[in-house]
Amino acid sequence: MSILQLTNVSGGYTRKPVIKELSFSIEKGELVGLIGLNGAGKSTTIKHIIGTLLPREGEIRLNGVTLNENMDVYRGSFSYIPETPVLYEELTLKEHLALTAMAYGLDEKTLAERSEKLLKEFRMEKRLNWFPSHFSKGMRQKVMIMCAFLVNPSLYIIDEPFVGLDPLGIQSLLDQMAAKKREGASILMSTHILSTAERYCDRIILLHEGRVRAQGTMNDLRKAFNMPHASLDDLYIAMTKEQAGE
Amino acid sequence: MQEVWSKRFLHYIEEVQKYMRFIFTGHIGLVLVFVIGAGGYQYSEWLKVAPQDFPAEWLVAIIVGILVAFSTPVTLLKEPDQVYLLPLETQMPHYFKRALNWTFFSQFLVPVVVYIVSIPLLNAVTALTTTEKLLGLFVVIVLKYLNVHMEFHYRYGNRGALIWLDRFSRMAMSILVLEMLLNTSYFGLVLLVIMAYYNFVLAKRIKGQPLPYEHFIKVEQNRMMRFYRFANYFTDVPHLRGSVKRRAWLDIIYKWIPFTRNNTQLYLVWRTFIRTDDHFYLWVRLTAISAVIALFVDILVVTWIVAGALAFATAIQLKYALLSSSEFRMDMLYPVPSAQRPAAVQKLIRTLMIVQAIIVALCQLNQPLFFVTPILIIIVGEVTLRMAKGK
Repeated sequence: MSILQLTNVSGGYTRKPVIKELSFSIEKGELVGLIGLNGAGKSTTIKHIIGTLLPREGEIRLNGVTLNENMDVYRGSFSYIPETPVLYEELTLKEHLALTAMAYGLDEKTLAERSEKLLKEFRMEKRLNWFPSHFSKGMRQKVMIMCAFLVNPSLYIIDEPFVGLDPLGIQSLLDQMAAKKREGASILMSTHILSTAERYCDRIILLHEGRVRAQGTMNDLRKAFNMPHASLDDLYIAMTKEQAGE
Repeated sequence: MQEVWSKRFLHYIEEVQKYMRFIFTGHIGLVLVFVIGAGGYQYSEWLKVAPQDFPAEWLVAIIVGILVAFSTPVTLLKEPDQVYLLPLETQMPHYFKRALNWTFFSQFLVPVVVYIVSIPLLNAVTALTTTEKLLGLFVVIVLKYLNVHMEFHYRYGNRGALIWLDRFSRMAMSILVLEMLLNTSYFGLVLLVIMAYYNFVLAKRIKGQPLPYEHFIKVEQNRMMRFYRFANYFTDVPHLRGSVKRRAWLDIIYKWIPFTRNNTQLYLVWRTFIRTDDHFYLWVRLTAISAVIALFVDILVVTWIVAGALAFATAIQLKYALLSSSEFRMDMLYPVPSAQRPAAVQKLIRTLMIVQAIIVALCQLNQPLFFVTPILIIIVGEVTLRMAKGK
């Protein structure tokens, strides 16, 4: 069974759909990259998966259930790292971790063990009692990342993760992702940093004007675009030209 | 440069007008009229019996002195200016000339009105002639003008360091000038000339110094923030970000919330309430008013009506504040029932109403019917919570 399964999903903010008949799935232990131009529908797709937008048609199954069928299982199955960090200005770093742990039903011992490791990994041990107003953009991002990795879900949804992080932060994030993958978790990541996507993603989904233009491994994509030695950058640019030619 | 100022100015006036409308059409406008009317009446009654040795000169000098010393420059500078206006550094004096003119004209009326209001008092207890009182008025205006320029020059030269010291010395000088003048001692005028000379020295010292953009932008932002916060009492200011303080002495409250999944929202809303200034001080303000009325008003029916109205206001405003945000928050994704937040908010407000009731009851202990008011507060709060729609 796929961890995440989208079947013919259409939807958007208004009556006019932004994403059209999307179908793709993510298997256990896979790292999948969601790639597309600005406005291709990446963020809208993610909003449908996390459940802040509901699909007009089609269905989204996470661990076998839709949001309507079993909200607790659905929501407990993923954690989400948004492109712009969303923090509680009134909570300290420590309390962000505690709140997340409470919401996902972790006990205090697990919280202490896991957060200690994460804090060390992201070099934030000394900032436990700080409020977000004192954090830089990168640190805010790290708070989101730590909260996401704290809960050990089956699916991580990461929106544009590398912007604003320092090189060490990026490395820590990649290490964490690799570790979780080995433990069997799946990751859906949207990004513009194509070289990183090419290097780390098992599969890539190219979104274009709200539809899946192509998906698969790098080799699948090269075949689809008929460019046998192309890098992801080349494919991306080919897709751009296609758009301009229309 | 003048064009830049004019555009800014127009935009600023529009913004202020937009909120002023709400401030004066709201209930506070009505209250203000009553307060001014009642205050004026009390004042005129008191003048008839004012003791001859009343220190009117000192009182007037101190109030006016404080008012003129607070002369925060209105520069209308914005954050991007420190990048975009950088090449125009030599042109900036033209800009600031207009800014300071506006600062003066927008602020000088307050001390002038206070001085004019105090003239009947001066008539009653001093023997000043009309010319002397007019001279006093003139000096108040000159003092304001000087203070506006001195504060600006001082801030420019010192980037706002030790501004309180500068303010305090200007305040002391201004008070002395006016006090001496009202005692017909013309040494006050000498002091005034000294102040003018000091201003001249400050102005000369900043020649050639780079413009401290960061400081002036911060001052300007704080000023606008104060205005918005004030306007926020009357209407909803969209871009107002409530400031947050830890209030560590209240940390003990959080210990009452056990670490379990169904307490997730309770964990959050208690902290949101205690640490967000807007929510916290809303409750403190309304509770304090209720308590003061209970303490000083002897007519029981009045205290009941006021306590009831304030309990209603407390419950409904807090409920809206904590439940009606449409911004995305991470807890919207948590695997907990969505009814948990309204339930947690209800629990929080219920507790707050009980605390309010206890405080008000303590202020009324001397009354035989002291238990009625707290019961009323709790009932009104509970009914409000149940009737008011959450979103």
